[in-house]
Amino acid sequence: MVGLSLGEKHFIQGGIDQNIRSDGRKRDTYRPISVETGVIPQANGSARIRIGATEVIASVKAELGRPDALQPDQGKVAIFVDCSPVAEPMFEGRGGEELSTELSVVLQHCLLGGKSGAGAGIDLSSLIVAEGKICWDLYIDGLVISSDGNLLDALGAAIKAALSNTGIPRVQVAAGALGDEQPEVDISDEEFLQFDTSGVPVIVTLTKVGRHYIVDATSEEESQMSSAVSVSINRKGHICGLSKRGSAGLDPSVISDMISVARHISEQLINKLDSEISAAEAGEDEM
Amino acid sequence: MEFVNPEGLRLDGRRPMEMRQLRAEIGAVAKADGSAVFEMGNTKVIAAVYGPREVQNRSQQINDQALVRCEYSMANFSTGDRRRKPKGDRRSTEISLVIRQTMEACILTHLMPRSQIDIYVQVLQADGGTRSACINAATLALADAGIPMRDLVTSCSAGYLNSTPLLDLNYVEDSAGGPDVTVGILPKLDKVTLLQMDAKLPIDIFENVMQLAAEGCKAIANYIREVLLENTKQLEYRRGL
Repeated sequence: MVGLSLGEKHFIQGGIDQNIRSDGRKRDTYRPISVETGVIPQANGSARIRIGATEVIASVKAELGRPDALQPDQGKVAIFVDCSPVAEPMFEGRGGEELSTELSVVLQHCLLGGKSGAGAGIDLSSLIVAEGKICWDLYIDGLVISSDGNLLDALGAAIKAALSNTGIPRVQVAAGALGDEQPEVDISDEEFLQFDTSGVPVIVTLTKVGRHYIVDATSEEESQMSSAVSVSINRKGHICGLSKRGSAGLDPSVISDMISVARHISEQLINKLDSEISAAEAGEDEM
Repeated sequence: MEFVNPEGLRLDGRRPMEMRQLRAEIGAVAKADGSAVFEMGNTKVIAAVYGPREVQNRSQQINDQALVRCEYSMANFSTGDRRRKPKGDRRSTEISLVIRQTMEACILTHLMPRSQIDIYVQVLQADGGTRSACINAATLALADAGIPMRDLVTSCSAGYLNSTPLLDLNYVEDSAGGPDVTVGILPKLDKVTLLQMDAKLPIDIFENVMQLAAEGCKAIANYIREVLLENTKQLEYRRGL
C-alpha cells in the first residue's frame, strides 16, 4: 500500500500538470527498460524485464497435448500471473489472487484474441503437430518479483521477450496411426523451432491523473489515478485489445485521444524492446 | 542406481564432500527493507524482508517481543514439470514454519517489542535443497534490512547414498529415497538451530553426516560474510567515506 501525505499528493499532481514528474520524466516517457532472456533454464523460453523498480519474470513452457475438438487445427495457449509476496506484503496468502486474476485476464484478452483464436498475437495454427490429435500447449507464467507500478506493460513486454526466446522442439510424427489412435511421436533434443513473434503486441497503459494522462506510472502515481486505459498494439499499429480500469468514467473523445497517443508511444516501445531483446539474446549466446 | 561412480564422482561431477556453486546478491527487490537472491547450483530463491513495522493484525501483537512471520512460495515454473499448485499447501506451510522458527531463533526479537517482521521467500528454480537455500537467503535479507541478529544462521543438507556421505544434495540425489539431513547452525555460537532428517540411518553414520552438513553450513557462513562485507564496502564507497 502507498501512504501519501496531502503535500506529496499535491506535489505529484502538480508535477504531472506541469509535465515534469517526481522522477524528472515527462508525461509520455518510460523509465529505463532492461531485458534479460533465458533466465529460467528449465523453461522453453523465459525473460526478466525491469522497468525502473518494477521487475517481472515470464516463462514459457510447452507440453504436448490434444487440440480442442472445436478447433482441431490450433494449439492452446494459457497465461497465468502470480504476484509474489516478495514484491508487496499485501500479496501474502490469498491477497494477491485478485490482482493476479485481473492481470491474467487482461493479458489473455490483449495477447490471445478471442475464443476462436482470431486476432491472437501468436499464430495458433503453428502449434499444431498432427491435426486433431497432437498439438503444443503453451503455458505462459508471469511472476511479479518487485512492484512499482505499471505491472501490465511490464508483463506484456516480458511475455513478448520470453516468446521470442522460446524454442519448441521439432517433433516427428510416426506415420501409420489409424483413426482415433494417438500417433507416436519423437521429440528432437537438438532441433528447435523458433516462433514468429513479430505479431505479438505490446501493451501501453495510460493512467489518468487529474486532467492529464501519463505512461508508465509508478505505484505512487497509480495511487492517485482516476482511471487507466491499457491498449495492446502490434507492430502494424493495429489495436489488439483494450481494457479500462479505475472507477472514474471517461469521455469517449478522451478515450480515442488516448488510443492515438498510445499508438504513437507503442512504436517507440516496440523498437526499444526489439533492440533490448536482440541485445539480450546476443549476450546470452556469448555466455 | 549409482550415485557415486568408482572414481568417486557424483552425477553432476562433484566430489562427495563438495558443495554446489554458491552465488548471492543483495538488494534484489527495490521496495523491500531488505532482500537477497541466493543460488546453490540450480536452486535459486529470492527473499524479501519487510519490517520491523507496526503489527498489521492487532490480536497477534506480542508485548515483549517482535512477531516474526514467514511465507514460502514456489513459482509455477520452478520445477521441471510445470504444476499449478494452490497456495498454502501442506509442504509450503511446513517449510514456512521451519524457516520462521529458524529465523526467530537468531533475531533479537526482544529489542523490537510490539512490531512485526515479515520474511517472504520465493523459489524461482528448485533443484533440491530449497529449504536450505531459503534460510540462507532469508539470513542475507535480514542482514540487509539491518535487523539485529545473534548470528548469521546458515543451512545446508547432507545425505548418505552408496555408503558415502554426500554434501548438498541436488534434486536427483534428494529423490533417491536415501536419508536427507538438513542442518541449520549459528556458526559463531556453534549451535544447531535446525535439524531434520527423513529415512533411517545408523547412529554413528548419522553423526558423520550431520558433521558434514555442519561443515557445509560453516562454509556457507563464510561466503555470506564475504558477500555482506563486500556489500558494506560498496555502501561505504557510495557514501563517499
